[in-house]
Amino acid sequence: MTGATIDHLVASTVFLAALLLFIGFFNQMNQTAIVYQNHKHISTKCSDILDSILLNPGSPSDWGFSGSSTRKLTFFGLQDPDFQEYRLSPFSLTRLLSPGAQQYNNVSWDLNGGYLLLQASECIDYHNVTSLLGINGIYDFQLAIAPTLTVNISEVSDAHLNLRIQVYGTGFPLSNAYLNYLMFWANTSTSGSFPILNCNFTSDALQTDSSGIASIEFPYLSSGTAFTFIVKAYTTGISGTGYLAKETVTNSGNLIPYIQSYDVGKANVILAQNPQTGMGNLYFNASFYALPDNFVPIPAGNFAGNVNSGTPSQNLQITTNNQTGFLVVAYGDGNHYGMMITALGVDSIGVPVTFGANPSGKDWVATDLRQVLIGDIAYQAKLSLWSLQGYGVTG
Amino acid sequence: MRTVEILIVILIMTGAFLTASFFAVLPSPRQVSPINLSRLALTTLQTLDAQSDLSTVAFDTTNDTAWNQLQIALSACLPPNVVYNLTAYDISTQNGQLYNATGGRSISNAASLGLGSDVASYIVASSNVTFSVTPQKLRATLYILNCSDSSGWWITGYTVQSIAQEIAQMFRPYFEPSSIIMVQNTTQLGQLLGPADGTGRGQPLQNETVQNAIVINTCGEAVPIPQSYASLYSSDYAKYCYQLGRRVNQYNWTWVSIVGYPLYYVSNTLALSGTQNGWGIYGMKMVEAAGLNAFLKGIDLQPYSYNNGWLTSDVGVVTLSPTAISNCSYYGIFPSPTQTATRALPASITTQYHLTTATMVFNVKNNAIAGAVFNHRTTGSLFALGVTRVPDIRLVGLGILSNYNPVLYKSLYTTAGTSKLVVLQLGLAGGK
Repeated sequence: MTGATIDHLVASTVFLAALLLFIGFFNQMNQTAIVYQNHKHISTKCSDILDSILLNPGSPSDWGFSGSSTRKLTFFGLQDPDFQEYRLSPFSLTRLLSPGAQQYNNVSWDLNGGYLLLQASECIDYHNVTSLLGINGIYDFQLAIAPTLTVNISEVSDAHLNLRIQVYGTGFPLSNAYLNYLMFWANTSTSGSFPILNCNFTSDALQTDSSGIASIEFPYLSSGTAFTFIVKAYTTGISGTGYLAKETVTNSGNLIPYIQSYDVGKANVILAQNPQTGMGNLYFNASFYALPDNFVPIPAGNFAGNVNSGTPSQNLQITTNNQTGFLVVAYGDGNHYGMMITALGVDSIGVPVTFGANPSGKDWVATDLRQVLIGDIAYQAKLSLWSLQGYGVTG
Repeated sequence: MRTVEILIVILIMTGAFLTASFFAVLPSPRQVSPINLSRLALTTLQTLDAQSDLSTVAFDTTNDTAWNQLQIALSACLPPNVVYNLTAYDISTQNGQLYNATGGRSISNAASLGLGSDVASYIVASSNVTFSVTPQKLRATLYILNCSDSSGWWITGYTVQSIAQEIAQMFRPYFEPSSIIMVQNTTQLGQLLGPADGTGRGQPLQNETVQNAIVINTCGEAVPIPQSYASLYSSDYAKYCYQLGRRVNQYNWTWVSIVGYPLYYVSNTLALSGTQNGWGIYGMKMVEAAGLNAFLKGIDLQPYSYNNGWLTSDVGVVTLSPTAISNCSYYGIFPSPTQTATRALPASITTQYHLTTATMVFNVKNNAIAGAVFNHRTTGSLFALGVTRVPDIRLVGLGILSNYNPVLYKSLYTTAGTSKLVVLQLGLAGGK
């Protein structure tokens, strides 16, 4: 009798332990499957949202050109309203305000001497974009739109100005690519204290070698010359652009271009002195060029002035006629000279744009990739998306 | 004994778990969250063909240099871990076969595309090919009033004849050549209209079909008046407009007024040679608003009574309707999407004269219609563009084409020898 009782007790205990163990095993298997299903859903959602952003221009569709339309946006999209398929508006992209940006959107701050700073009130912020996409509180994302071709320009030590241009894609260097360039430089022989802004455009058959590298020498310019160099690389089916501006901090500081607004073909740019201790006069000469796809710049406005401690900024009214282009500025204090450039439309000098939240440290981030065109410059649009709702099965 | 049974149960449950684990195979992380290779391939092809470079290379199959450059571009724009195979196939002429696999040329950066791959296909056209568009012909006669013995008003900067020529040229693709009739003088117009007293029927000018025609008055706010009508209705020219309305109803015409206030003047340089329109233009008589009122009564077959009440209103800037904007792209006619309308007709005429707005050219503004085709409930239509001078005949074209909707037949894109099928297959390098 006692033996049977012990047998029952042992059997019951072992049975219960085994039952709990197997419930745990099966539950773990189910949990893993649920997590996988959730990841799959996020991945599908990532692809959908990326296409949704890239394949519609938003509403009103002219919001890229108009600050007032940006404030009335009822649907978000980045497609160029004049085209179909994956072609993006160079102006809509400049109106994106990532979390953390304060007064200006800081698309580009002193990247190779180039700036793209648009006043925050002219932009649409990340929170509004997620609301317009219908994912606010459900998903966060980061959209990175970068030129497919990287065009690196560097100075080579020499008596004359000598530049080395390296072109490569996401996979390989771009060999045998043709290069056209625009060269601007500031003369040290000045008109008063104003730097003289010179330019030289060429469509010479400069070509990269098998490593994607080309060099160009300017024998008429010394190595210390302040310059801005813009180059467009082209081979069968793909184009890219890059730039380098030699930005010098003079004794009177340097200049920072802030785009206050652009609306209906007009842009308002403030050139502000980034002061140094001396706070002397800083003189500038600036030109705005519209840059069509054929890479032949069209002069569309010249400006000259000076800034100092009493007048720390100057206001430039630029007529853009809704064309992409760039403002190139030569400045100097009479002894030292520098140059910088600001883009109006991201494709004119190949500015990359990163918009959205930071994906680092997130549990599961789905990514997807598309090839897009901005103007005729090839870009890649990469969307990273993650869920804010844990691992519940949602679809 | 029970312990042994439990051990057997445990064995059974272990077996069940192992069996379930064997069948419940979870996908690899790469399969769970893959890059959408199909979309990546398609967008890559679109990018490469943005300047028609892919099309050029696809047809230049013997040019190794061009294909090498294409491969360099392809390698440069795809991520390093993506392997690819791009093949350009000839479109096949054989039945049941879309492309000719033996006639293609390929480039690839790997011997195989791994365990999983995806493709996108893209059809490119030869630069030697011209794709034609053939419009559907409208089964109606187009009368263009090109009367040499009448003058125009509010067609500033143009002559009646120059507008007539432009209109004929614009509509030439949409009508049979014999269906476009220039009404060269008011005598011919009188022949079309028939006897001035309203008895009898009008006669064709060139054996064309008079019924269901479109009549475009190129004289602006003035309308040509035949001598017989001018003589009969000299005491009240609005009666001529009334007869016009009745004829429009009788013949199911679409009467087109290209600018301003319709039928505000009548014009005949011989019959009215001693009369000026109030602005110094001889051969023209101002009928004022009575002309349009009489016309509307005529089209609605109401009895005539003189009414000089002003109908139109100045509504300022008006915008093209969604239908018109859509048809701008379809027919390739691109007038300015905003126009100034100072002679917009009130919406109330639709109820007063039993009209319906068949085609809106402009959006309604302030309850006034600046441009629309008004169909009478029985037969006959009025297409009135109440925009201010100078007339824009593209609006006339847009309105007529929007109303009749002729189809544009485009040549086939997949014709053998003119197109190639380019297939880009992408895979991911490396293991799971």
